[in-house]
Amino acid sequence: MLGEGILKGLAETAKNFAGSFVSAERMTTVQYPEERIAPVEAARVFPFLVYDGADWEAGMRCVACQICEKECPPKCIYIEKSKDKKPDALGKPQFYPAKFDIDVSVCMSCQICVEVCPFEAIKMDNEFELATDDRFGGLLQDRKQLAKSNEYYHTIHPTEAAEVDARLAAEKTKAAADAAAKAARPPAQAATPAPAQKPAGGGE
Amino acid sequence: MVDEGLKIELGKQGVFVTTIEELYNWGRRSSIWPMQFGLACCAIEMIATTMARYDLARFGAEVFRPSPRQADMMIISGTVTKKMAPQVVRLYNQMAEPKYVIAMGACAISGGPFKQGYNVLKGIDRYIPVDVHIPGCPPRPEALLQAFITLQKKIDGQHLTGEGRPRFLDAAAQGEFPVPEQGAHDLEPSSNKGVWPLPVVIR
Repeated sequence: MLGEGILKGLAETAKNFAGSFVSAERMTTVQYPEERIAPVEAARVFPFLVYDGADWEAGMRCVACQICEKECPPKCIYIEKSKDKKPDALGKPQFYPAKFDIDVSVCMSCQICVEVCPFEAIKMDNEFELATDDRFGGLLQDRKQLAKSNEYYHTIHPTEAAEVDARLAAEKTKAAADAAAKAARPPAQAATPAPAQKPAGGGE
Repeated sequence: MVDEGLKIELGKQGVFVTTIEELYNWGRRSSIWPMQFGLACCAIEMIATTMARYDLARFGAEVFRPSPRQADMMIISGTVTKKMAPQVVRLYNQMAEPKYVIAMGACAISGGPFKQGYNVLKGIDRYIPVDVHIPGCPPRPEALLQAFITLQKKIDGQHLTGEGRPRFLDAAAQGEFPVPEQGAHDLEPSSNKGVWPLPVVIR
């Protein structure tokens, strides 16, 4: 029948309208600034840098290998490698980013930087309230703004963060065991040229 | 100016004090009618924002006008190609003052993933002044609502007289924005120097 669909739709609307006076379930509007929809665990907006411990500068996992900068499709990451080295989570001296900027006005939230990172240093945030009238200052995030703690990562993506932590712990014990085995070996063998150093967790 | 605390105290007594400026800004910020116009995938999020769950009507902006003459705000929702840019600027010129622009999503702000391409405008703020930028690809509907709140705050803070007064109260301000034309290689001019002062890159 002609117009049957329209009548069905109107009936649905009328049902919701009348129902909203008696049942809270029919009230679909989320009063945004006051109440909000709980984000899905896999929700992602822009990347952030994970750090361990209390000090963001000392605990930064990023070693400025610049893989994410090269892989980023819209080229929104800018990294400057440091001149000196600082010890990382495994105690090995590593470079750190002297500058790490992400231009969120270009970022397309593709998560490729997260996938290529061998150090679990860059992860996706779910913070979306970034609207600003400052075109350049407001949309370019430097490493201080990007640095967020591992605890924060656990609150936004608990399952993923637990997996990452387990993987990092396994690597740490493996590295410790390797070091112990190396120390136990006779010195003549240890003097032979060591194989090229692989980054921790590079073999994904 | 009336002291904020005194105003609340008087309000309790049944006396309402306001200024012309406050009343005027309240009127402006509570009835921003957007133009019914979408360019790409961000427009889908814009449509979602107007629907029941997010309900843009709560901010006085439910009436999407199909004509620029009746609209107060333009949401640049999506990729502005070089083919579309002159039309966007022309539509903006046709809107009546006071008018506002929200650049929604990475493409509208900077060209986003198409930044390195030859056919996409690297940000609409090369031609028209943008009030609020929303990063995201695409931004969530809540992000658009937050941009609305940001814009309302911005309107609330404007003074009607003096140095920082809005453009439509300033007779000397630029009112018409030149519409770019398709040149041999690029749009001509490639940007409007009046609204797009090239930033100094410090590294």
